[in-house]
Amino acid sequence: MSLRFEDDFLKKLEYLHVVSKRAFAGQNRADRLAPKRGRGLEFADHRQYAAGDDFRHIDWKAYQRLNRLLLRLFDEEQDLPIYLFIDASRSMAETAKFDQARRIAAALTYVGLAHLDRITILPFAATLGDETNPGRGKGRIFRVFEQLERLDSTGPTDLRQAFSSFASRGRQRGLAVVISDFLDPKGFEPGLKILAALGHDVFVVHVASASDRDPGVFGEARFVDAETGDVRDVDVTPALAAAYREAWQTHASELEHFCGRYNLGFVRADAEAPFEDIILQTFRKGRFLA
Amino acid sequence: MSFLAMPAWQAWLLVAAVGAFAAWLFFRKVRPPRIDVPSLLLWRRVFDQARAVTWWEKVRRAVSLVATVLVAILLALAVARPAPRVNATGRGRLLVVLDSSTSMSAKTSDGRTRWQHAVAMARRLMSSTSGGDVSLATTGEGLIEGPTSDTALLESALDRVTVVGGADVPWPRVTGTDAVHFITDGARERPLDASVVMHSVFEAAPNVAVTAMAVRPATSADGGGEAYLEVANYSTTPQSVRITLTRGTDSLFDQSVDMGAGEAARQVVPLAATGDARLRAHVSAKQDALEDDDDAVAWIASAQPLAVTVVTHQPAPLAGLLRHALGVTPTFVTPAAYQPVREGVVIFDRWLPAEAPSVPALCLAPPAAAWLGRVGAVEHTPRWSHAGTHDVLAGLDPMTVDVARAYAYDGDGITAIARSDQGTPLIAVVDRADRRLVIVTFGLSDSNLVFAAAFPVLVGNSLEWLGRPASGDPRGPGLVALPASTSKVTGPDNRTIALARAGNASYARLTAGGFYDVEAGGSHQTLAINPGTPETSNLTRTTLANAAAGPADNPPAGRPWWLYLAGVALVLVTIEWWTWQRRITV
Repeated sequence: MSLRFEDDFLKKLEYLHVVSKRAFAGQNRADRLAPKRGRGLEFADHRQYAAGDDFRHIDWKAYQRLNRLLLRLFDEEQDLPIYLFIDASRSMAETAKFDQARRIAAALTYVGLAHLDRITILPFAATLGDETNPGRGKGRIFRVFEQLERLDSTGPTDLRQAFSSFASRGRQRGLAVVISDFLDPKGFEPGLKILAALGHDVFVVHVASASDRDPGVFGEARFVDAETGDVRDVDVTPALAAAYREAWQTHASELEHFCGRYNLGFVRADAEAPFEDIILQTFRKGRFLA
Repeated sequence: MSFLAMPAWQAWLLVAAVGAFAAWLFFRKVRPPRIDVPSLLLWRRVFDQARAVTWWEKVRRAVSLVATVLVAILLALAVARPAPRVNATGRGRLLVVLDSSTSMSAKTSDGRTRWQHAVAMARRLMSSTSGGDVSLATTGEGLIEGPTSDTALLESALDRVTVVGGADVPWPRVTGTDAVHFITDGARERPLDASVVMHSVFEAAPNVAVTAMAVRPATSADGGGEAYLEVANYSTTPQSVRITLTRGTDSLFDQSVDMGAGEAARQVVPLAATGDARLRAHVSAKQDALEDDDDAVAWIASAQPLAVTVVTHQPAPLAGLLRHALGVTPTFVTPAAYQPVREGVVIFDRWLPAEAPSVPALCLAPPAAAWLGRVGAVEHTPRWSHAGTHDVLAGLDPMTVDVARAYAYDGDGITAIARSDQGTPLIAVVDRADRRLVIVTFGLSDSNLVFAAAFPVLVGNSLEWLGRPASGDPRGPGLVALPASTSKVTGPDNRTIALARAGNASYARLTAGGFYDVEAGGSHQTLAINPGTPETSNLTRTTLANAAAGPADNPPAGRPWWLYLAGVALVLVTIEWWTWQRRITV
């Protein structure tokens, strides 16, 4: 699969930027407002001069008017740490679903790179895989493309194990984007709770395919779990198929409600939906891109 | 074709085995197609949920199992062809004999014939043997099928047999038979063993019939003879009977006669010397249960005299004899003027053509010829003291014949029928499909035959045997013995009748009334077959002691069970398939 985007689409992506509900301290100067006052260009506030402050920031006009030494404060603009978690388990092996997930990751990476954000791509399955730090600047996107193309789906899903592993690495807080089908036998809640508890601004991208929603199978069938290899012989009747569709709706609703309850961003990306529509419309409606 | 004919215990074993196999197949898990799914997480949730189970879901599996086993058993039963037991004939070898005389074609009050009732009764008897051997026979044809337990063969035989009429063949004997059942209407009395179980299909029915028809020959050369006709009204009430008599296309007699119950009318109609040789009689009445005996035929032999070509240098002796003979049209030619003839009989007097004649021939002291054979040793003054039994020698007194010289002939198919005391053939015949000859081994000039009383007898017998291979007198249907040289018998509907050869004769079974053409060695003869007789046409009487109940006690067997079983199985399979495909019950 080729992840290369058209130039027109890349230009459209450059006009977007990733929205974070909170401001996080970055490491490098960029164009994203940091929580602390610093050496930016935008005036932010005054404060009382204290010994040791830089004389150059004293507002002399205010001293003439108020006869008080006030120090001018400016907003600090830094980069945003963005952690892109991409589900590379066997449940994502379905071509349309995994491709959609990788395209979304690539697009978000490009948006971040265009705004000098600090992107970290973290594939995961039962545990966290090798992470990728493309660096800064739009030009690094092609390296990201290559790495995502080489990404393979294998192993079972374990969100809790993967995000626990991430927590142990002691990362700077930032925006955590989780792209997954969230078909974790142990449940998606523990893993997402870990990410939220670490203080990250968590954004959930639920990738789902048509076969996830409706198996489209009728009659006797032997279902084989792609992740665990478990086998189950099922006689798929209309009633059973309806029950499955209902179970999937419940699963999707539970994920969405969980995100709402814990103030996590949520977007559902259908594998069969046009990719550009997801990025330019769905993500913007979800207030993840602006 | 037959298959899977089996006794009852094997059939039930098959049913049990097939049912068990179907149940085993039902419970056997068929490996379904493998489908990889991203996760069984949601499927497990579905199965863990306590779903509401419908009444249909509860009983469906049981219903499916029952339907599956039932379908298998029904198909097995259809193959085994079961049938209801109607008579307690028990197990063992069974012989079923059907009366195939003409009266069995009579219609009964339900519109079916006695024969159809008899066949239905035979089917029930055969099906009641519980797998034992059954033999099937008719009075006219003898043993038809069996002994066998193959119901397909027996059914096929029952479909094949028909009413043949005529005299009975010898009563069939089947070794090891435990019970003999005879299904008859009792029209003809038959002396049978007391152990034979009689089944009556008799039901009194009114009938009119031509019970006798014949042509009496003319007593003078210019006369045509007369037709004799006998018509009977076998009814309990008087009725008007229309009688018609036609000769060819000419109507000789057409009249309605009021006939009393049981009355027989006799009619003599004079015949012209010339005209068609085919004489037909027909009767019709309102109450007439049997059609076969409504028609009768007779052949007027004098209307078609035998053409006799005499090839001789000295025609006087034969001319004196043949010119005054009735039913013969002689023609005399010298050997030099001889041309091959196409019909009739040819007489060669001390001369033979190079090619064999295509018609029968009487050869008087013939020379050697390639197609006849060699002339052998000569016996002087042979003594002829014993007349043979051949038709050619019937009524001939050999003691009146003095022979000066007789020659022995050696040729293919030549059979001596009269020999001298020293063994020299005096009269010989050739009776083959392509050639019929009578050979007199001595010449007219070498004997006193011309002046002996045996001369007209010998010549008359020879011409009759050569020119008319079978008697043209009317006779009843049945097995007819014909000359061994018979090559073809053609029925009234131009259908060729099968011939069976045994010994020095050929046999043909002539079942329907009408004219039959017999062809033998280049000669043709017409046979008249009439089914009507006072014995078989009187449908109001029976020789059976207790036949009052009639065939109404034997309802028709209808279609065999296997058809219904197969039909039910098909319906069940269709319902099961449809409900499963449509998931109606799940």
